[in-house]
Amino acid sequence: MKWVTPKNGFDEVFDARGRARPHYAALISILESFTKEDVERRERLQQLTLRNQGITFTVYGEKDGLERIFPFDFVPRIIPAAEWKGIQDGLIQRITTLNLFLSDVYQDQKCLKDGVIPAELILSRKEYKRALLGLVPPRKIYTHVVGTDIIRNDRGEYLVLEDNCRVPSGVSYVLENRNLLSRVFPEFLGSYPVRPIKDYPTLLLETLRFVAPRRGQNPVVVLLSPGIHNSAYFEHSFLAREMGVPLVEGRDLLVEGNHLFMRRTHGKRQVDVIYRRIDDDFLDPLAFRRDSMLGVPGLLNVYREGNVALANAPGAGVADDKSVYAYMPRLIKYYLGEEPLLPQVPTYLGHKKDDFKYIAEHLDRLVVKTTGDAGGYGMLMGPFASTKERETYLAAMRKNPGNYIAQPLVELSTHPTHIGGKFEPRRVDLRPFILYGDRIRVLPGGLTRVALRPGSYVVNSSQGGGSKDTWVLAPRDA
Amino acid sequence: MILSRVADGLYWMGRYLERAENATRLLLVTEELSTEVLGLDEELARAAWQDLRAIFPGFPESEPPFRQLAALASASLLGLSIDQENRFSVFYSLKKARDNARSVREALTLEVFINLNETYRELEGMSRRHLADPATFRSAMQSTHRGLMSTVGAIEHTLPRDAGWLFLKLGESLERVFRTVVILRIKLPALVSAEPKVDLPLFYSQWRSLLRGLSCLENYRKVFGARLEPIDVLQFLLFDPLSPRSVRYGASAVKEHLDRISSASELSQPARIVGKLAAELSYQGHDLIRDGQILPFLDHVLTELGRAHDALSTVYFGT
Repeated sequence: MKWVTPKNGFDEVFDARGRARPHYAALISILESFTKEDVERRERLQQLTLRNQGITFTVYGEKDGLERIFPFDFVPRIIPAAEWKGIQDGLIQRITTLNLFLSDVYQDQKCLKDGVIPAELILSRKEYKRALLGLVPPRKIYTHVVGTDIIRNDRGEYLVLEDNCRVPSGVSYVLENRNLLSRVFPEFLGSYPVRPIKDYPTLLLETLRFVAPRRGQNPVVVLLSPGIHNSAYFEHSFLAREMGVPLVEGRDLLVEGNHLFMRRTHGKRQVDVIYRRIDDDFLDPLAFRRDSMLGVPGLLNVYREGNVALANAPGAGVADDKSVYAYMPRLIKYYLGEEPLLPQVPTYLGHKKDDFKYIAEHLDRLVVKTTGDAGGYGMLMGPFASTKERETYLAAMRKNPGNYIAQPLVELSTHPTHIGGKFEPRRVDLRPFILYGDRIRVLPGGLTRVALRPGSYVVNSSQGGGSKDTWVLAPRDA
Repeated sequence: MILSRVADGLYWMGRYLERAENATRLLLVTEELSTEVLGLDEELARAAWQDLRAIFPGFPESEPPFRQLAALASASLLGLSIDQENRFSVFYSLKKARDNARSVREALTLEVFINLNETYRELEGMSRRHLADPATFRSAMQSTHRGLMSTVGAIEHTLPRDAGWLFLKLGESLERVFRTVVILRIKLPALVSAEPKVDLPLFYSQWRSLLRGLSCLENYRKVFGARLEPIDVLQFLLFDPLSPRSVRYGASAVKEHLDRISSASELSQPARIVGKLAAELSYQGHDLIRDGQILPFLDHVLTELGRAHDALSTVYFGT
């Protein structure tokens, strides 16, 4: 077995002297007991399983959308119990704040009046839905499912990179990765007290049922998907199957007398809760985008009347805006009176004059992102861009400075990853999933995404990223 | 009760699976017949390929006629096996079955999806060059056929007998009886009139091939013995009450599924159409064949099946 250690950045497995960290020692010795041929055989089996089970995502921009396997690396990432405790507490603090913030933005707007966050920053966002002002969602929950991206800096500290409050995806791969690993490398799990994750669909369903407007009867929950061509369709179908709820498309639903129904072969049936995996703008052509073919005409009226719950609530996207992120430490203090438990990356805001000046002068040291985009689209990696690329990007920024934020390049942590017969360091991040229902629950672990290209910082699946199984260890005395 | 879209998806998944299976089987049988008779009667081999192209009419009309039999055979083999544009190729049907399965995956089991997906992936990996070799072609088609059979087995053994299952089986049974009638309609005119001209072994080869093309040769022998009398073969293919690919059995299967889908109190429009048809087939017999009324009768069956499909689309799928 050959282990290559990284030149810079925090290594998840080996310390500065090249010794395995204690919680990785057992795994490393198991891996070293395998021959190269063993590993290759197992890896082939793993590929075959992914392919045959159709565990795929769809890449846009190619004819008909190409189905691809989401690459999986079998070397698991291990998080000790104490480290996880810190992450979990920080995440609960964040989702609580995000929900209070959304409640405030759509009711009294106290945080804007108190100047905690500039009003124009919120009110000008297209994710801020004026039409929803004053509307209280069932159980006052906006963010039922949140995926927060976490990275580690060169000292190994966990930092929040962004929150995803709209339709975070990836949890199906978390579950499938665990299945796959226990099938292909059963030796691994046997030697660690790994916290189980299989009950996620059950907890998700509980979370969704909790917000059903009709109390005291069996609520009808559905998962709303844009359909088979969506990049995350595999996940939609997976979660619907795991929860045992119907997967519906917009055309399956209809509004009658301010109630929502699904069309069935023998008449219609009322729907109480929609776990929607389509963006706000496409939900209802009468309320938002008129050209949307994916949504349900009149859905927002039913929601407004309180006859259906939507998870996540429409308008929640304003909370995961990249410029709102910069204000999260202040918002945590404002709503909870607490210090943030998880640090985050320093952020310069395009809409602030001083910040913009700084960004323009230090473009070669910064990562610049557009506030509205996700999935690694529309960003500039300053240190790796050519002078010309930076100039072009800056010219675009000047037209709409408020649309950009910049952050110093964080040297992401790396994790040994099996590539071409060797274990090479590749950069990783972590997306834990948090559910907000009758209480807040954090799925132990989450999706570890890995940048498979050597030297790459971009872990998004649409940009050549893969994933790993993520283990949270149970506390010793538990 | 299920979503109309899901019922629609399952219905078409059933139809396309059945169509893929039919095309695979007929390709194998036609290739074999063509090889068998080629040296004796080239015209007969040519006719077999032309029939196959009429049964699965997915070839472009602009295609020039083939002078060489070998060119016709190879274009037909490739066109109906892996051609992605041909709407009746095995690949096309498998892809459609899989697309429909993906869109209603929550109504299926993992076993069903994996079997279908593996069969599709395997065929997708075949290249034209690969299939040009007859032995490889045969083994590839046999492998696809096995994959389809295990998919059907997974459907049989893992799916709950709910409304979804009924729509899947409805699609399968409707496609099956429809395709059987199309095959008969295209093959019979030549077969019936050819009797005096062709020499006897070749004549029987064709009837045997017809039975094999409908998976009926062994079942026929169980009823009538090894002797192939045209009138017996017709009687069997049209009216046998037990063979799953006879027209009578097929129509009854469609009727049974439609009856179970219909609400208890009242028969639906499609159930009425197919119910009448199934009754006709149960009471018809030899005289129809003797009186030469067989072709108009087959046309009538096709019309009624088309009406049934339209009616069920309207009633259940809202399309």
